[in-house]
Amino acid sequence: MSNTIKKDTVSFGKSRQPKLIFALLAGAAASMTAVNICSGSIPLSLPEVWSILTSPNDTTESIIVWKIRLPRALAGVLCGGLLAVSGLLLQVYFRNPVVGPFILGISSGASLMVSLVMLTSLTMQLSIMSPFVTTLAAIIGAYSVMAIVVAIASKVKSGVTLLIVGLMMGYLCHAATSVLIALAEKEQVKGFVLWQLGSFSGFKWNEIYLLIGVGGLLMVAVFLLAKPLNAILLGEEYALSMGINIRLLRMLILFCACAMAGMITAMAGPVAFIGLAVPHMARMIFSTSDNRILIPGTLLMGALVASGCDFIARSLLSPVELPLSAITAFFGAPIVISLLMKKKVQL
Amino acid sequence: MMFSKTQANKAVLTCRDLMVGYKNTPVLNNINLSFEAGQFTTLLGPNGAGKTTLLRTLSRHLESLSGTIHVDDRPLAELRQAELARIMAVVLTDKVTPPLFNVFQFVALGRYPHTDFLGRLTEKDREVVSHSLAAVHAENLSHREFASLSDGERQKVLVARALAQEPQILLLDEPTAHLDLKHRVEVMAILRNLCRSKGITVIASLHDVDIAAKVSDRVALVKDGAITDWGYPEEILTTETVAELYDFNSACFSHHLCSIELRGDGHRGKVFVVAGMGSGATIYRMLAKRGYAISTGVLQSNDLDCFVADSLGADCFQQQPSASMTEASLQQAYAGLAECDLVIDTGFNSDGPYQNNLNLLKKAVTDGKTVFSLRDDNRAWAIDGNNSNIIAVKNTSHLLDAMEAIQ
Repeated sequence: MSNTIKKDTVSFGKSRQPKLIFALLAGAAASMTAVNICSGSIPLSLPEVWSILTSPNDTTESIIVWKIRLPRALAGVLCGGLLAVSGLLLQVYFRNPVVGPFILGISSGASLMVSLVMLTSLTMQLSIMSPFVTTLAAIIGAYSVMAIVVAIASKVKSGVTLLIVGLMMGYLCHAATSVLIALAEKEQVKGFVLWQLGSFSGFKWNEIYLLIGVGGLLMVAVFLLAKPLNAILLGEEYALSMGINIRLLRMLILFCACAMAGMITAMAGPVAFIGLAVPHMARMIFSTSDNRILIPGTLLMGALVASGCDFIARSLLSPVELPLSAITAFFGAPIVISLLMKKKVQL
Repeated sequence: MMFSKTQANKAVLTCRDLMVGYKNTPVLNNINLSFEAGQFTTLLGPNGAGKTTLLRTLSRHLESLSGTIHVDDRPLAELRQAELARIMAVVLTDKVTPPLFNVFQFVALGRYPHTDFLGRLTEKDREVVSHSLAAVHAENLSHREFASLSDGERQKVLVARALAQEPQILLLDEPTAHLDLKHRVEVMAILRNLCRSKGITVIASLHDVDIAAKVSDRVALVKDGAITDWGYPEEILTTETVAELYDFNSACFSHHLCSIELRGDGHRGKVFVVAGMGSGATIYRMLAKRGYAISTGVLQSNDLDCFVADSLGADCFQQQPSASMTEASLQQAYAGLAECDLVIDTGFNSDGPYQNNLNLLKKAVTDGKTVFSLRDDNRAWAIDGNNSNIIAVKNTSHLLDAMEAIQ
């Protein structure tokens, strides 16, 4: 009997060699980024890109890489990863496998606030601070919707109700947004509509720095929450009995999830399904619910999937660029449906 | 590592004038209980009586409305959450959405209050997890996915998870609900063993009065907004208290047999059963189930049949144990016999004190009543000549068929 116990202790935590999968995912995400930088209307080879990256010059190629392709590729990686982690947090928090920042109306709340900033003349005076203002607005929007959803969710326990509440919040925000659009000037509407389709193009470097800085801090915070996130998988009652400060944990989870989703929505527009589908893919690949593995896993997986979707969006019907949210939906919705059909949706 | 006697008799959890409930609706009042180390206490009571509310207050999931709770002489409210988690663990009724964990990993979640900020397991943690699994006889499940477990296995693993916290106090809300008989008995045996060998104080709410009576060191009866009774199950769980606790009408808890008997409504008329020495018990139950009222006798008052018949609400003619049935008690039984149309001979041993009961059968035959006999050889009491109203049956099912046939 002591033998079997020994074996258990040895094998614990080694389901499917996570290190190997991490390496594969990181490799795949890096390759996808490289492909994104190399491909386009002016194809570049890897050595060309390398020489441009190491010694920037004034050639058209260099400007394309430094001003357009590199920010866009990095935006895909960062937004995808953070959005997916935000979805993971929400799924664990609600103990519901079919929620995500988009489904719960968080993205819509962020959109509404962004539209308020973009469509009214508020931005006129503040155009220099633009990424920060819209980001802040988006986070506030995300957080307000989240607060309402949470308040309702605490009254009604059923998971389906939660989804419906999220959808309704989404409709309300869309309705308010459309009123703002009707009242806005034509010029502003054009930019807003493009933004609303979701895209990683047009990222400025200060936005990338913001993503790396704030996103990095949030990721550290999320990773430090991995242990209580695991405990809360059993439900809040059990988590409480294991010594967790539930109120603080709730606040932290929601703060991190909304900050991530809000910030990304402000910059890239509402991107659907990444936050919902990617955590499931990570769970399936790592075959564990251990958030210490899932958090970095989801980050890499989200980076890979978002970069892939962006590649498809700009190359499928090139030179026409497809809306990013359309691609992520084409790809994400079937995955979620098949997951539900197989009843493989677990946390 | 046996739990030493010196540690016993020390209250690890005490409630004084405790009032529990939700917001402004008190559910239970004036609770004064103390739970000693290594003691198994069961909360019994009907659904909605407040057992869960009390447990949730003890585990600090709910705030108490008034009064105090002390853990090891310290007020419960003053303990830090993490501190409490190392003293007290719970097994709840909530369905756990199974995460993608194997059983070992699942149980390891219980190490939460003991591990570092990333929840990494040390050698000692792994050992505790293994021991917790061993304590619930689930070592063999260690590699299985938690989601693939049956209800019974899941419950054992949930207990193991609680044990991994290394608690002094274990609170369980209906730990045997939804379990099959094997697991029900197994889980109770495990819990009992935890009290004995590890000195853990177990407080559980249960629905099985019979199992509770056999397992618990103390029982607390919860009803009508109060703890109506508290103490040794052997003293407290009498037929009357149990009937009152659950508002029994058609059932009866037998104090001596420690089981529940279901009474019939007797709509199909009265049957007289001549039994003795345990030969009648199963036949009484079968008759009660089929809706017959029962009359039986003459039984010695220490006979198993006597306890079962009492619990089933039968008219039971009995006498103090003696060498043979007295004429006086037979006379009473004759009167009972006269009210019945059908008579059953259970095939009781007629060599000893029950010999005179054969006279009841003879009387029944002479009075022209239909007599079913389970006896191999009923010449012992048959009367020469007119025996056409005796129906020999081989076993109880045959008896039932025969009874159905003539009605």
